[in-house]
Amino acid sequence: MNYEIKNVWSVLLRLFHWALVLSIVVLVVTGLYINTPWTNTTLEGSVSFPMACMRYFHFLAGYLFTAAVLVRLFLYFFGNRQERIWDILPVTPRNIKSLTTTLAYYCYISDKHDSRLGHNVLAGMVYIVTIVAAVFQLISGFYMLFPETGVWQTLGNALFTSQQQGRFVHHLLMWYFILFAFSHVYMVIWNDVKSSEGLISSIFTGKKFKQKNV
Amino acid sequence: MDEQAGNRTTNSGISRRSFIKSCSVAAAALGLSEAMIPKLVEAAETAKRPTVIWLHFQECTGCTESLLRGSHPDLGRLILDIISLDYHETVMVPSGHQAEKSLHDSVAKNTGKFILVVEGAIPTADNGNFCKISGRTAMDILAEVGPKAAAIIAIGTCASFGGIQAAAPNPTGAKGVQDLISGVPIVNIPGCPPNPVTFLGTVLHYLTFKRLPNCDNMGRPLFAYGRRIHDHCERRAHFDEGRFVEEFGDFGHRNGYCLYKVGCKGPETFSNCPSTRFNDVDVWPVSVGHGCVGCTEPNFWDSMTPFYERLPQVSIPGTGIVTDADSAGKKILGVAAAAVGVHAAVGIGKSVLKGKKEE
Repeated sequence: MNYEIKNVWSVLLRLFHWALVLSIVVLVVTGLYINTPWTNTTLEGSVSFPMACMRYFHFLAGYLFTAAVLVRLFLYFFGNRQERIWDILPVTPRNIKSLTTTLAYYCYISDKHDSRLGHNVLAGMVYIVTIVAAVFQLISGFYMLFPETGVWQTLGNALFTSQQQGRFVHHLLMWYFILFAFSHVYMVIWNDVKSSEGLISSIFTGKKFKQKNV
Repeated sequence: MDEQAGNRTTNSGISRRSFIKSCSVAAAALGLSEAMIPKLVEAAETAKRPTVIWLHFQECTGCTESLLRGSHPDLGRLILDIISLDYHETVMVPSGHQAEKSLHDSVAKNTGKFILVVEGAIPTADNGNFCKISGRTAMDILAEVGPKAAAIIAIGTCASFGGIQAAAPNPTGAKGVQDLISGVPIVNIPGCPPNPVTFLGTVLHYLTFKRLPNCDNMGRPLFAYGRRIHDHCERRAHFDEGRFVEEFGDFGHRNGYCLYKVGCKGPETFSNCPSTRFNDVDVWPVSVGHGCVGCTEPNFWDSMTPFYERLPQVSIPGTGIVTDADSAGKKILGVAAAAVGVHAAVGIGKSVLKGKKEE
């Protein structure tokens, strides 16, 4: 078969992706510790600050996460054709068709693969939901980190009513990200097996393989 | 009643030293500089003692009990030297019609000038029938007295936000003062009970500057509710160093470790408890080994429970399942893993069958 190499993902999008991966892994691990710390310094006076360290890494990763989300929001409007939001919103006939085709394809109802350069619309929609969740996650995070600072206090109180509710939402959204990461990895492997486009390597190289004139 | 506070101090035999001490404590609570203490003393001495009317509604009188145990100032000095307490059901001498008369006389005489203190929530369901004093509902009394006040101090979480009576499903429709009165400056001093020093500080602030102190977006004075308990807690070092009480009575508890894991709500509660403390014996819940329950926050009975867990429970609609977030998350993750397994198996099975067809 004849394949050609297509450039799909910009460097910035790939950086966004891996920054998000790294930050989510660190955030979930340290976040679980912060919520349910296992006691590991019983010797008073020893040089050990597990909670302080976990919080420090949680905040560092939080800033990386925030940067990644801001980059993705920027790319939704100023990225290349595949990265822009119009390519994945189910508002055009082409995109609505992509959504139904993909659903049938994922449910093994049809073998027709919607071959696109960028995301299929189902995946794209899940990513939009994830970015929205990420925005709420970072607002609730900064609300807890800067509870006495005007902007975050006003915004956080308006959205979550209280620190405790903000914390609760923050914790529930963490479980959303765990579930998302799990199903995302599975669907990517599944797609890579089903259609040989080099989907997994595309997030490293930015390139996909497409069949020529088929 | 028209006597000035300064005269009272000399006449009543209360030493000037202890009078100034009270003012200094209040200045410290307000975060005022040393230079302001003389002004505060002057205000307390020379200002005509402000008339205070204290209304009790749906409450347990715990806020008054806390005030009775205050010592900066003690209740006697507060009501004799600093304010003119014209109506307070718990501490006043008259009862029955005489008591009612003193309320009406005082309101009529001081319209637009008195400070109204409200203790307790106001039930609004069924026309407020759940709380009546001398045949009139709390709603009626507040609607009559409230708009005539110069300022309203809502003391306690009930008067501020509804408190325990307003906990879901709030059968009596209990509400805080700020939900029912508008057009009069209202300051909330929540807490169950609040610290008497915070109350005195607010009153003295009003006397000195002729206005209520700066408040946060929930109407709580910033001098007392501007900082998180967790950030001033004496057990904070144990938190940062990872030493936690696992259960009440264990080694960590006996050694004063952090109460985070047994549900302390200090990290999400705003109050001056760790620095001001209570009852002149320098205690507050965390210092005696019990976690904060978040009593200064709105709806704490709903949002801060379970008191001995970190986070509220998750209820899954339609199933009646109430569980903690982590066990729900793990179960959902398990279901997702099973779904992935089924999905992959179907795919493999299908390709095996199809492969045979093609042969």
